[in-house]
Amino acid sequence: MSAATIGEPVATASGEPVLKVTDLRKYFPIRSRILKRTVGNVRAVDGVSFEVRPGETLGLVGESGCGKSTTGRAVLNLQPATSGSVIFEGRELTGLSRRQMRPIRRNIQLVFQDPYASLDPRMQVERIIAEPLVIHGVASGAELRRRVRELMSLVGLNPEHVSRYPHEFSGGQRQRIGIARSLALEPRMLILDEPVSALDVSIQAGVINLLDDLRARLGLSYLFIAHDLSVVRHISDRVAVMYLGKIVETAPTLELFRRPAHPYTQALLSAIPLPDPQRERRRKRILLEGDLPSPANPPSGCRFRTRCFKFAMLNESQKSKCVEEEPLAEPRDVGHPTACHYAEVQPIL
Amino acid sequence: MSRSPIDVSSGRAPGGDDVLLSVDNLDVTFGSGSGAVHAVRGVSYEVRRGETLGIVGESGSGKSVTSLAVMGLLPKNAQATGSVRFRDAELLGTKDKPMSAVRGKKIAMIFQDPMTSLDPVFKVGQQITETLRVHDKDLSRSAAKARAIELLEIVGIPNADSRADNYPHEFSGGMRQRVVIAIAMANNPDVIIADEPTTALDVTVQATVLEAIKAAQHETGAALVLITHDLGVIAGLADRVLVMYAGRAVEIGAVDDVFYRPRMPYSVGLLNSLPRLDVEGRERLTPIIGTPPSLQQLPPGCPFAPRCPMRIAECSLAEPALVRVDGHSAHWAACIRSGELAGKDRYQAGNVFDTTGGDSQLPAEVGAAALTDDAGGYDASPLAAAQPSQPQSPDVMRPIDPPPADPPLADPLPADPTLADPTKREESR
Repeated sequence: MSAATIGEPVATASGEPVLKVTDLRKYFPIRSRILKRTVGNVRAVDGVSFEVRPGETLGLVGESGCGKSTTGRAVLNLQPATSGSVIFEGRELTGLSRRQMRPIRRNIQLVFQDPYASLDPRMQVERIIAEPLVIHGVASGAELRRRVRELMSLVGLNPEHVSRYPHEFSGGQRQRIGIARSLALEPRMLILDEPVSALDVSIQAGVINLLDDLRARLGLSYLFIAHDLSVVRHISDRVAVMYLGKIVETAPTLELFRRPAHPYTQALLSAIPLPDPQRERRRKRILLEGDLPSPANPPSGCRFRTRCFKFAMLNESQKSKCVEEEPLAEPRDVGHPTACHYAEVQPIL
Repeated sequence: MSRSPIDVSSGRAPGGDDVLLSVDNLDVTFGSGSGAVHAVRGVSYEVRRGETLGIVGESGSGKSVTSLAVMGLLPKNAQATGSVRFRDAELLGTKDKPMSAVRGKKIAMIFQDPMTSLDPVFKVGQQITETLRVHDKDLSRSAAKARAIELLEIVGIPNADSRADNYPHEFSGGMRQRVVIAIAMANNPDVIIADEPTTALDVTVQATVLEAIKAAQHETGAALVLITHDLGVIAGLADRVLVMYAGRAVEIGAVDDVFYRPRMPYSVGLLNSLPRLDVEGRERLTPIIGTPPSLQQLPPGCPFAPRCPMRIAECSLAEPALVRVDGHSAHWAACIRSGELAGKDRYQAGNVFDTTGGDSQLPAEVGAAALTDDAGGYDASPLAAAQPSQPQSPDVMRPIDPPPADPPLADPLPADPTLADPTKREESR
């Protein structure tokens, strides 16, 4: 059992970032019914900046509708960004055509959430895993068959099962097929979009162990997008928390879980149910009021203020700062970037 | 199936008076002949006033079917035997009409997806007043409306009097689920059954909905049966826990006993497969290799045996009954080797599991597959990990006998039709 300390970047996580995202925005236009004129924008991702260093796992967490999946897709240019910059291994990706993206996709691959929808039910596993190798003309014939078997072993599947169809595998095994396919071209980075959230917990654990092993063995960098904080804590070196299209707090994993400073992060941590009855009975929860505002019409200033328990306790002049001035993600007094004017460390767990 | 004394007493809490709902040896089968799916196999439990029973299990373990049987909501192709008693009335086999007088009045249910439990063309206030007036014909419209608003306030809906005139689509997912909870508690039911009530919701919303469920239970004093796959939710709400696997109760006990001192290897595996938030190091997780057995073709003996790291030859002889563990009167586990886990906490017990990242073989397959050449094999495969030399912990418990390569178990995966069964999909959260 190897136990690396959470929060401490692995030895290789230094130097130039593999992926550097700066002020990324992705707006989806809202069009009028008849004239199809743009009458507004859903600001799904609204100025997101982060970087991932070699061998590092950055966890991107948030609740549904916060823009975390759209961020992943915009990074890969699957949905062209509205503005901002995405630099992968020194190369700007925004604005590249599909043809220009193709050689880059060898090095940065996506793993999807739903192992039932992301595999073609009419293809044998052999063809599913071989597809990227064939498209990129990397291997053929006996070499191709050897590579597919090797990949299956790599992800912990029995290579004798190459001629089976996806329905003959369980959910966890299908997710492994998806991972094998994304590793076929030996990428340097994986974007994992909720890779274990469709799986039962006992199956989840095996896939998480696999991802841990692959990263160490192949020197991969991960952008790990998920809503489950305990999974994110387990796998990430650093964590960025998103709310309504913006990153509200970024910190090394252990720091974030020990010393959360943004009220939203605090609420999120306090809401995780712990499988520990005695602690669970003692816990006090921060309950958020109201619903997520529409990303088409986000609140002015701080986007979280409409549900913020801290905002509710401020006096009028303090409140006006939240309403008028957008808090930037700055270290402030808490030591790590936090987008709150009144950021204050409060241990939750 | 006959009533065995063990089955009856297993679900009973100490001092079993005030029992509102008792399920005894419940069996549910879908279809018939060779295609029959035996979804629930001899489940027994009891819940008392004010008590919360958590039923936990993974997809396809039969936890939802159990509650549908209790509510009399099974589809026509299902046959249920055994007994479901509400106070002294037998519910199983009751015709739909008399059952309707109980359902929603005495026993209420909260389903996973609030959008499908609410009618999209009626205002939420109307849906609550309908529930009230169906069971109480003398209630005036205005009194029902007032009560509806009061209920919406209890479950934490702001501006309840104006929100009562909104349609379900005007509410967010968490708000809708609170409306469903308000409907469930409308008639002061004695029992509330909540089937994955927060699975479709975000974690901060889940926290508020669980508060609403607690409020509803507090208000009505009802017994709560909470069905979920989320062990954290169970830890926070349940007094007692029933762990289900392959249609059977495999462990039952007080929440602290089951969570801190699990005695059935499946519960041990389930608890240890979760990432720990209380340790700072990055520990390997312990998955349970393989998939649950097909309910059409159960393996002989213990249904968990093919995936169990403690499996011995005896396990496939007969399905183990629930037996008392740790000399405890209310803690039961269905495992012939549970005694060997005595004195261990959940993490010590978890050392029987490997921290593999592979998923190509079940422990039961290892013996047979060890002969095959696996040169390109994954380094942390169960093949390697199952060698006795694998250092892990001094108190690792290994199968006493090497797993026998008996034909039905040697290769359970290819013969496993559950994999082709779309109803066996893992739950999405």
